[in-house]
Amino acid sequence: MTISSTDGGAVPSRTARSSLARQLLAKPAGSIFVVFALIQIACIVAGLLFPDDFRYLSPQNLTILMKAVPVLGCLALGAGVLMIAGEFDLSIGSVYTLTAIIMAVQVGDGMSAFLAAPLAILIGVAIGMLNGVITLRFGLPSFIVTLGGLLFWRGAVLLYNGAVQVRFDPGPAFSSLFSGTLFGLNAAFIWIILLVVVFHLLMHNHWFGNHVFATGGNRAAATAIGINVKRIKIAAFAIAGGMAAFAGILATSRVGSVQPGQGTGLELQAIAACVIGGLSLNGGRGSVIGIFLGVLLIHTITNVLLLVRAPGFYLEMFIATLIVGAAILNQFIERKGSA
Amino acid sequence: MTSAAPLLGLHDVSKRFGTLTALKNLSFHVNEGEVVGLLGDNGAGKSTTVNLISGIHQPTSGYISVDGKQTLFTCRTDSADAGVETIYQNTALVDSLSITRNIFMGRERVNGMGFLKQSEMREIAMEVLKSAVHISGIDSPDKLVGQLSGGQKQAVAIARAVFFKRRVLLLDEPTSALSVRETEALLNQVLKLKAENVSSVLVTHNLYHAYQVCDRFVIMSHGTKVFDVAKADTTIGQLTEYVVLT
Repeated sequence: MTISSTDGGAVPSRTARSSLARQLLAKPAGSIFVVFALIQIACIVAGLLFPDDFRYLSPQNLTILMKAVPVLGCLALGAGVLMIAGEFDLSIGSVYTLTAIIMAVQVGDGMSAFLAAPLAILIGVAIGMLNGVITLRFGLPSFIVTLGGLLFWRGAVLLYNGAVQVRFDPGPAFSSLFSGTLFGLNAAFIWIILLVVVFHLLMHNHWFGNHVFATGGNRAAATAIGINVKRIKIAAFAIAGGMAAFAGILATSRVGSVQPGQGTGLELQAIAACVIGGLSLNGGRGSVIGIFLGVLLIHTITNVLLLVRAPGFYLEMFIATLIVGAAILNQFIERKGSA
Repeated sequence: MTSAAPLLGLHDVSKRFGTLTALKNLSFHVNEGEVVGLLGDNGAGKSTTVNLISGIHQPTSGYISVDGKQTLFTCRTDSADAGVETIYQNTALVDSLSITRNIFMGRERVNGMGFLKQSEMREIAMEVLKSAVHISGIDSPDKLVGQLSGGQKQAVAIARAVFFKRRVLLLDEPTSALSVRETEALLNQVLKLKAENVSSVLVTHNLYHAYQVCDRFVIMSHGTKVFDVAKADTTIGQLTEYVVLT
């Protein structure tokens, strides 16, 4: 009797749980969230079991994570909005370096960092808009236009200041704003959390986001209904450029210097984070939370491989597997959605 | 009293694309609460006519009138402002967005800061789907449009037109992708809107569908009108003859 009654009680709760899991997986960022949560639990358990060999939970390690996430986070948020609008920007890594160098050189020449930083963002926005205008005016794939941008602005870095490292000494007020500590949290980490909230509201609760999704999801339909798709796309390009510059500000404040080659490959990591986070390469699908989880996942895996002292090439192989796996999953979800 | 001027009129409209004359002195009109069938074989100029009325093309000569007043539709928005809603074969919907977001796409309800009034839009969408469009299978306005069938998608497009108080629906080959049951539902929808004084232009080469709902038929051939007749004065046999023989 007792056994059968507990059985009877267990069955509905199990189906309820499985339907909850299915609901979660059906959400745009659901599957990535499950993967992320499982890896976190595994890391935390391992960190508690082997506190000396696997220092995942040590304060030093958590600080490193908090400092590492915001830079890629900013780049990925910008790249992600643009991907949802149906376009790519491969030039953000170069723009990130260029704007950071301009800012550092200007501050070195005596300009206030509080002026130089907005200037950097403005340049990032302008380059983004230029990419957008060229792409739309000539009807080109943004992949090609921004591939050109990647090489052009990488060269422009060397033209502007040569292949030398630039020191960045903005003064204490600026430093504490972008790399200080508040309530035990790194300032850059607080910035990225704020930006994730703002982007979430903008993309999912504001008309602008709705138009971005419509533009990327079905350009012809968005045009037919009277949305100015070109203006939306140029705005998305501008956001990608501006966020690249903001990432440069955070990175430069943290390190205190800029290397001319530091942005190489970051654009691909940002796009990778977006794909892992469930964004469609065709546009129109994805979520801001997904993008951020994608960034966190890349950094968690990097961190774990560092902690277990794995050689660096494992990292790239791991992320490669993750990207392709995520893309397969997205394709599967998309097919189901449009069946 | 409604004025005697027709709701929508085409006056001696011609359209040339380079050396190709797509339309030649085409004139016809649509009255308030009237369902007009625009018939003709492939290449008769039906699609060009639809594009002119929805503002995608502009006439080379002649003009379009709304309520008897000469107007020029320079873009899609102009025709929408005049109350024309075009429902295409491939309806203008975004598969990756919900029904609610599609209905309000480009015309979102927002607060002063531009943030979406999501619960308000959702309630309206639910109401419109329930009252205006009776197509089975749509149980929630949160469903993604990509998950709907062809008929359900057109129902969403019609719901959008109904909610935004369109005066003329321009249905371009609406039944070509639909099942028999969905076609029936769509044609009933057209009649229901007519009862609410919404006019429709049904562009089709399926005479039987047109004969079922239209009050008047305009038959086109080689870019111009060859026959314009009220339903009471003709038979489906005569219509077929005109479409086939002219």
